[in-house]
Formats: sequence, C-alpha cells, structure tokens
Amino acid sequence: MTFNLTRRAILAATVVLGLAGTAAAEFPESQITLVIPFAAGGSTDVVGRIVADRMGQELGQQIVVQNVGGAGGSLGAGQVAKADPDGYTILMGTVATHALNPLILKQKPYDPVADFAPVSLLVLVPNVLAVNPAVPANTVQELIDLAKKEPLAYASSGNGTPLHLSGELFKSMAGVDITHIPYKGSGPALTDVLGNQVPVIFDNLPSASGHISSGKLRALGVTTKERAPSFPDVPAIAETLPGYETYSWNALFAPAGTPPEVVAALNKAAVAAMADPAVAERMKEFSATIVASTPEELGEHVKAEMAKWEPVVRDANVSLD
Amino acid sequence: MELFSNLAMGFSVAGSLANLAFCLIGVLLGTLIGVLPGIGATATIAMLLPITFQLEPVSSLIMLAGIYYGAQYGGSTTAILINMPGESSSAVTAIDGYQMARKGRAGTALAVAALGSFFAGTVSTFLVAIFAPPLTAIALKFGAAEYFSLMVLGLVMSVALAHGSVLKALAMVVLGLLLGMVGTDIYTGTPRFTMGITQYADGLNFVALAVGVFGIAEILRNLEDETDREVMTKNINRLLPTRDELRQMIGPVLRGTGVGSVLGILPGGGAILASFASYTVEKKLSKNPREFGQGALAGVAGPESANNAGAQTSFIPLLTLGIPANPVMALMIGAMIIQGIVPGPNVVSEQPELFWGIIASMWIGNLMLVVLNLPLIGLWVKLLTVPYFVLFPIIMAMCSIGVYSVASNTFDLYAVAFFGLLGYLMSKLRCEPAPLLLGFVLGPLLEENLRRAMILSRGDASTFVTRPISALLLLMALGVLVLVFLPQIRKRRDEVFTESDA
Repeated sequence: MTFNLTRRAILAATVVLGLAGTAAAEFPESQITLVIPFAAGGSTDVVGRIVADRMGQELGQQIVVQNVGGAGGSLGAGQVAKADPDGYTILMGTVATHALNPLILKQKPYDPVADFAPVSLLVLVPNVLAVNPAVPANTVQELIDLAKKEPLAYASSGNGTPLHLSGELFKSMAGVDITHIPYKGSGPALTDVLGNQVPVIFDNLPSASGHISSGKLRALGVTTKERAPSFPDVPAIAETLPGYETYSWNALFAPAGTPPEVVAALNKAAVAAMADPAVAERMKEFSATIVASTPEELGEHVKAEMAKWEPVVRDANVSLD
Repeated sequence: MELFSNLAMGFSVAGSLANLAFCLIGVLLGTLIGVLPGIGATATIAMLLPITFQLEPVSSLIMLAGIYYGAQYGGSTTAILINMPGESSSAVTAIDGYQMARKGRAGTALAVAALGSFFAGTVSTFLVAIFAPPLTAIALKFGAAEYFSLMVLGLVMSVALAHGSVLKALAMVVLGLLLGMVGTDIYTGTPRFTMGITQYADGLNFVALAVGVFGIAEILRNLEDETDREVMTKNINRLLPTRDELRQMIGPVLRGTGVGSVLGILPGGGAILASFASYTVEKKLSKNPREFGQGALAGVAGPESANNAGAQTSFIPLLTLGIPANPVMALMIGAMIIQGIVPGPNVVSEQPELFWGIIASMWIGNLMLVVLNLPLIGLWVKLLTVPYFVLFPIIMAMCSIGVYSVASNTFDLYAVAFFGLLGYLMSKLRCEPAPLLLGFVLGPLLEENLRRAMILSRGDASTFVTRPISALLLLMALGVLVLVFLPQIRKRRDEVFTESDA
C-alpha cells in the first residue's frame, strides 16, 4: 500500500515536472489576447481578426480578439502598455496609436517607443481623396484650382485621425484652404459625401472602394507614393504634389520588457500568417500592401512616422487635451 | 414582375436546410441575449464574428441578422417583465408594458408585443424588398440641417411622453442633454465633463445609463416594498389577448409600422426615434390619454411594432449603400468585409443571392420568432414568480456582465451604480426616466448636426428654413408643441367656464 502510493506519487511528480519543463521552453502555453483598440467592424478590426485567426493556427493556441475602443485608440493601447510583458497580451497598433495620438494628446497615456516591444509591421493601407461625382473636378489639379476659386469643405472620420491629417497635409502642400468637417467615423462621413452634403472626402481606400468602383464617388488620387494595385487607374496625389505621402498601417506590439524569444515567436507566427495565400488574397481585396517586417524594422518605422507627422500636426495646430 | 422572381430566388436561398438552421440559431440566440438584461446584440455579434469566418457569407449574415432582430424581441420581454430595457428602442415599451405586468397582464403585454412585432416585421420586409433603392435616395437627401430639425422634432415629442408635469419632463430632457454632453467634442477635440477620466472620453455608455435608471432603480424600489411584487405575481391568469384586445391593437400596430419603417431608413438616430415617435402618436390619438403610463395596451403595441419595423428597414442603408445605421450594422459591414464582400451599392447587382437571401430570411426569422415566443410567454411570465432574493442578484450579475461586455470598461460599471441611485432618487421625486434617456440619445446628435450645418452654411442660420425637408420637420415640431399645449389651454378655459357658471 505504502509502496504503491509512493510509486504513484513519484510517477505523478515526474509527469508534472515533465509538463512544466516543456511549458517553460515553449511559448505559448495558453491562449493569447489580441487587443484591438477600435470598435468591432472597422478596418483595423477586420485586419486584426484575419491575422489573429491564422497566427493562432501557427502558434497552436487560440488568439482571442478583444475590442477595447475609445479615445481614438488610446484606451486599448494604454491597456496593453500596462499589461504583463509576457507576450499573452498584444496590441494591434496603428498610425493613430503609435504616431498621431502621442503627438496630438496633451496628456500622454503612454510612450509609443518606450512602453512597447515592436513585433511586426503587418500591412500598409492607402487613403484616398475622393469627391462626389457632381463636383466639377476630375483631377487633383482641377480640385486645387476649384478650391482657389470657391469655398470647399472636406469630410473626415474625425478630429486628429490620419484622414484629417492627410487632408491638412494636402491643404498645406497645395496652398489652398478647405474647411474640415469631422464626423464620428468613416460611415457617416461617407454618407454625407454620397448625398453631396459635403463635396470632398479623405477616407481609407478599403472603406471607400465599393463606392469608387460603382461610380458613386470619383477618386481623384491615392495618398501613397505609388498607385494602389487594386485601383491602377487612380493616380497618386504625389503625381500632382511631389512628395505627398500618407497611409495608414497596422502593426503588432507587445508590452515593453517582453522576453526577446517570445517576441521572436510572435514575429515568426505573424510573418508566416501574412505569407499564407488565403490571407494575402484577403489583404489584396482590402487594398492593403503586406509588409510583415522584423521587430527592428517596426521600431524604426514608428520613429520615422513620428518624425514625419510632427511638423504636420504642429502646422495644422491640432491638439487634444 | 422582377420583384417576385427576386423574392423567389431569395426564399430558395434562405429556405435551404443549412440557412434555415442558421436563421434559427440566430433568432434563438438573439431572443436569449435579449431576455438577459444588459447583454446586447452588439456584444454578441462581436463575439460571434470569428465563427463566421468558416461559414458561407449568406449563412453568416443570416445568422447575425437573426441575432439582431431576435434581440429586439427578447429585449421587450425584459422591459415588460422587470422594467429593464437593454436597447434604447425598448425603453418606451417598459413604460406601459411594465405597468401592465404589475396589473397581472404580463402575458397579454408579451403577446401583443410579439404579434405587433411580427406584423411590422412582415410589412417592413416587403418594404425593404420593394423600396430599398428609391428610399435610399431619400436618406441621402438628409444633410446636417435636416438631421438637426429631425432631432428638434424628436425632443419636442419627448415632452409628450411624460404623463406627469410638463415641467418635470422638460427638466429630465435637459438633464439628459447635459449627460449627453459628456465626452470629447468632435469639432475641437476638447474633453467635456469627463473629470479627467480617459474612459469617459467617448461619452457615457447608453446601456449603463439605461440599466441604471430603469433597472437598478426598479430593484431598489422593489426592495423597499416587497408586498408590491407578490401582488403582481399572483394576478397572472391569462396569457393570450382577447378578441377585444386584438381589435384594440390593430390601429396602433398599423401606425407604429408606418412610423418605424420611415424612420428606420435614416442612418444615425432614425431608428432610435421610431418607438418614441409611435408612443407620442398613440398618446395623442387616444380617447383616454390618462391610461398611458398606467398600462395602456396601445403604449405597448405601437412602439413595439415601430421598433421592429425600424430594425428591419435599417438594413436598407446597409444593403444599398454599405452605410451602417447603428453599431450593430457596423458589425455587419465588418462581417461582410471579412467574407470578402465589399459593402455598397454593388451588392444588389453583384451578389443578388446574398441580397435577396437576407431579405427573405428576415421574414422567415420573424415567423420563427412568433412561433417560438408565443409558447415561451408562459415560461417568461413564470420568471416573475421567482422569489426576489434569487431573481435580483441574478439580474444584477447579468447586468454587470452585460454592461462590461460592451466595451470592457470598468468605468461603465461605476456609471451603472451612479445612475441606479439617480434613478431611485428620480422615482422618489416622481420624475420620468424616459425623457432623460431620449435627451441623452438625441442631445449629442442635435449638437453635432447643428454645428455641422452651421459650418457648412458658413454661419448662416437660415439654412434650417430654406432647405425644404428641414423646414417641414421644424413645422411639424411646431405642430406637436401646439398639440401638447392645446389640451392645457382648453382645460384652463374649461376651468374658467366652470368658475363663471358657479
């Protein structure tokens, strides 16, 4: 009896130790939470869910998506900045959370460089300048000429968003004044431009693409340096205003202090997920360009973006408390 | 008859065994989460989005749509039984529905709500099929000025909602407007009344506010006086409405369906107004308006039909323009994009099976809901017989989970506690929570559109009367004001006459 018990105890102990040994060596041993700092249904959410699904298969653990919307992405990003740096809580960061908000907000809820361990820059998403078809402007140049003759207004998804600042950068480079009309998100802004309540809009290309291909909106130019592969007929704004370049991007971040081997495991899974043809096909439909960078490249990218936007934010005089 | 061939195609898609099953799962799940107070369709659909990856696009959208209108049905159940509206649209149902339940007519109220909703659902499904493209054109004519005038009309109507003093109702509307101001100003980015709490940067959570002022306040009031609840549970004798009651509900249901269908099309705020507008209309048309607030049948039948009709027609801007009318529709767009469908005007021509399949499934779903819910009424009513020391803690726990699930924000829970106390205080002062809620919902829209219209017109206020739709809406608001004050003027005159007679 005693012998049996002891032997069983030893066996059990061996099994437990063995399990613990493997677990410590292999990340991840339980499910991972991906925080998306915007409401469900938006473009960041869609990209995040597609990637989370595929990355989960790579890692052999489920990745649970949690939408923590609010304050233009600052709430969700702030939450991940303060999370345990073990790789089990990661963030789908964007140009808003890691370049614009830190520049615009007077009270900084987190430091985009010091508080995060970059994992991978996933995709670049072009923005687009479009007008209602009733507007007498077929090219970027004609719109600039029109704006010099009569007062115009443009709609954006909100104050301090990448789209607002794309518009401000356009105004300063073209030397025109166009009144900014902010909305609560892309949807209502699009509605008013489709109904010609507001003539001009800066929007994410994915959210406007359906209206552009159906002819309800006339795309004048994409904001990327090159034309977007999904709309080869739409010129880049840079063809009229050399040097003009803005785009939205999505990237994975872990909290600062996450062990390098965990970051490497996450990066490997993310890169593998983006290489999947099915994911690539989805991203193409979405007009997004796949980057799938290394952690170091993402770190450099964040610094470059902050340097690029700093003067635009200052000139446009956008600041939020 | 292209319409019929299109509908036939839709029914063949929606009628496949798999799609029928997904529709059933959707409406069952929707009813369930609707009945659980606090847990709304938005949270459920968000949680289910990843599952829809694996499904056919049509099946996943049919299921998600089922959750949405199933939740509308379920939401009115809790509003009637425990005075706990989970969605803004069922807040109005709680006013008279809960009073009916207290008088032992819970079964009747639930049946009236279910039948009214089914009728409205049927009519509006056909409206969606016939009028989707032309109605969309009307919605696009609504600019900032028109929305401002619509909100003015809504706020004026909210005063008519009250059945006590007009002054108290106005005070509640203003308090609601003030609470709606909390959050970041979208034009300047300045935080207002957030007390430095970043979690309130996007404003107070509607669900937290509604659960607080209606639900928690009701629980507090019940704990004060236990005998009240016992009376209510003993008086349930009949579940289905009598022939006479059925006759009474025809008018309100027809009018509610009309009001709801029209307002549901407007993206942003339109559908919210539907049930409030219908209640006002019924109260004004009623021979005995005093009954309202005391358990009037029309006060349940009208708004319930209106909110269901609005829920269906809010698919019109989604399917034809790719524009969401509310957060649930925004999620549906997300679901479409995940499936590789670009929402927009092309959906009808490029994906006719999807478009007509969803429309046909709406009617099938509504039928399923009635078949499911009529027998379930008995079960729901039995909920009332659960002793309060079991029921109240369960409700509190469900509310907390539900409110938290909306945005994973603990500050929303503090808001529930605060508004629970405020609601209790209001009930002591005999102030109505419904006008407060309407002020809270419409206030921010009113302000946003007023300022947008003024920016667009370059500071010229005449834009509100020179635009015909806006001018018409403002005239209607004026008309409602006259209607509200007319009885009082007449009453005063009557009083003068009686005095002179004596």
